[in-house]
Amino acid sequence: MSLIPGLGIAKGMALTLRRFFEPKVTVMYPEDRRDPPHKFRGRLQLLYDEWGTLKCETCFQCAQACPIECIDMGGMDTRGRFHVHWGAPETYGERREESALRRSGRTVPDPAYLPFAAIDVTRVDAILEEYDHDPAHMLQILEATQVAYGYLPVASLKRISQRTGAWYAMIYGTASYYGHLRFEPAEASDQAAAVAAHRPPEADYLAAFDAALAGAVKRGRGRTNPGTAGTPGDPTRPDR
Amino acid sequence: MTVVNRSWNRLSLPGKIIFTALPVMIVLAFATVLGIILLGGPVLDLLSHNLPVVRFVVAVTIVLLMTVPTAFLIIYMEMKIIALMNLRIGPDRVGPAGSLLSVVHGLKVLMKEDFTPTGADPIVFTWAPVVTYLASVMTLLVIPFAPGIFGQDLNLGLLYFFAIGGLSVVGLLMAGWSSYNKYSLLGGLRSAAQVVSYEIPLTLSVVGLILLAGTMSLNQIAQQQSGWFTDWFVFRQPLGFLIFFIAATAEANRTPFDLTEADSEIVAGFATEYSGMRFGFFFFAEYVNVFIISALTVTLFLGAWNAPFQWPWQVTVNLDPGALGIELLILFAVVPLILTLAFAAPIWMLGGARVKGWMALLGGFILANLALGAIVVGIAYIGFEWVSGLLWFLGKTYVLVFTFVWMRGTLPRVRIDQLMDFAWKWLLPASLLNLFVTAAAIVVFESVKAS
Repeated sequence: MSLIPGLGIAKGMALTLRRFFEPKVTVMYPEDRRDPPHKFRGRLQLLYDEWGTLKCETCFQCAQACPIECIDMGGMDTRGRFHVHWGAPETYGERREESALRRSGRTVPDPAYLPFAAIDVTRVDAILEEYDHDPAHMLQILEATQVAYGYLPVASLKRISQRTGAWYAMIYGTASYYGHLRFEPAEASDQAAAVAAHRPPEADYLAAFDAALAGAVKRGRGRTNPGTAGTPGDPTRPDR
Repeated sequence: MTVVNRSWNRLSLPGKIIFTALPVMIVLAFATVLGIILLGGPVLDLLSHNLPVVRFVVAVTIVLLMTVPTAFLIIYMEMKIIALMNLRIGPDRVGPAGSLLSVVHGLKVLMKEDFTPTGADPIVFTWAPVVTYLASVMTLLVIPFAPGIFGQDLNLGLLYFFAIGGLSVVGLLMAGWSSYNKYSLLGGLRSAAQVVSYEIPLTLSVVGLILLAGTMSLNQIAQQQSGWFTDWFVFRQPLGFLIFFIAATAEANRTPFDLTEADSEIVAGFATEYSGMRFGFFFFAEYVNVFIISALTVTLFLGAWNAPFQWPWQVTVNLDPGALGIELLILFAVVPLILTLAFAAPIWMLGGARVKGWMALLGGFILANLALGAIVVGIAYIGFEWVSGLLWFLGKTYVLVFTFVWMRGTLPRVRIDQLMDFAWKWLLPASLLNLFVTAAAIVVFESVKAS
């Protein structure tokens, strides 16, 4: 409630009075037919020419251009020799890229929710033992796990969830919240490398952070295997 | 087939109508003239001896007749103005700028089935809209539209207004009760509760004004506000005006207090079971109420028919066209021609090759008519007090009607408990305060003046 009673009413009345004089948005439809919007494509339809044959030449350009893969084609090629379906496979790979998925509104697959490969859980168990299976120390557990494996394998997260009793979703939330925790080996992702190349300060910072973490864990606990700390290219990467 | 039959069949429909109607009209015209010649004197004598009766009949007829176009106009205003405020165009098909759409709505309502639900009390059910409508229309009888133009100058005009206006509640209750429908009954009770609650602050807010004016005759209240606009009662009773305006909004069932109707939420409350022209009467009564409330607000607080300013010099028009004698006829014949040519000449000269002669003449004719109309209205405004009064009164009234419509286009509806809280906890104490302060001020002023 404002200080002056009725001020809101006055504001609203002023607004409607301004609208009263503004140009109107109505389209007088039957007399005035506007052009359709720029991106309007209408209904997809296979057209026939005047001889009753399909106009489609199976060139697959439409299917390739379709961002949401709603065009699916199959048929004979123009000379009627080979059966074609989906066109050249290599042109479709780029539609599976994460940026294309995001652009077209599809769900982006997340390794944390995919079937995961088994790992050697002894190291996680050792870390959990270290922290007394206490979910209150989740961040430290996750950091130690990352130091041990080089990244956070899904199997390790499952194991942590199983042993501490914390929800997997909560652990995943914690892990995905912090930028220095990762779900894939450091250079497994080309994208991460490209980003790191464009942003050397961040890469440096993350590397220094990893080193500091390794040092702290080594100094504080001494049980972590220094050989595996930050090992690149761990063979137990999740299967995509 | 006889010759008569064949000729009749060859006529088109308008031809048939004219062929039938023309002789009847000629006979009627002769009969009327004959009747006036033979009976005119005695009838006029009789009427002039019973002038109050004649005045009453004429006033009632005019008031009844004028409510219909008024309601049409206000319904059209509502549709158009709210549409424009919503960035829409609104009615634009029937008539110029869609102005006949409300008339078409009226015809539509007339053609609809007039349905009475099973179990309803048919007599009460039929009379409810009549009571509501008449309660609205009869209040117009005391409203002074202009100097000398009023139905009846009651010395208890304001009391009559509130008494008769309060009767509309009876109509609403009758409608709700006789519909044999619990929702209608609830709607009727709700609206009765609302209207009765707001009746009290509405009436109390005017008592201060009555103390100031010393009369309840609306005509005299209007006369007391002559002069500049600072003499209007709104500047001597600002709180009273505010309370009166809010309570009047609730009294006329207008947004934000239109819970009884609430088109967008409930099925018109007490009018749920109504259809056809009986519903039309409720609908009409609502819009006539808007006009009446606006007119009463103008009469009481906004100077009635008085212009907001006075001419700094005295302007009088002393035209005596009868003195011209036969030359008047020549003037009537020549002046339109000269004016048309005078207005057509610049169009023809400035228009160049694209403007043909007939276009220039048509434009000149239209412009000449506009100019003549403006001159006539101007002379009437200056020369006749009632013309200027009527123009000012209707102008102010329709500005207020616009405000009501504007509020409907802006404000959301209040809740029923907020509505009642506002009436009893805020408006009633405020109107009492206004009354006491006004009374005290009058007492102090009088004693100071006496000493």
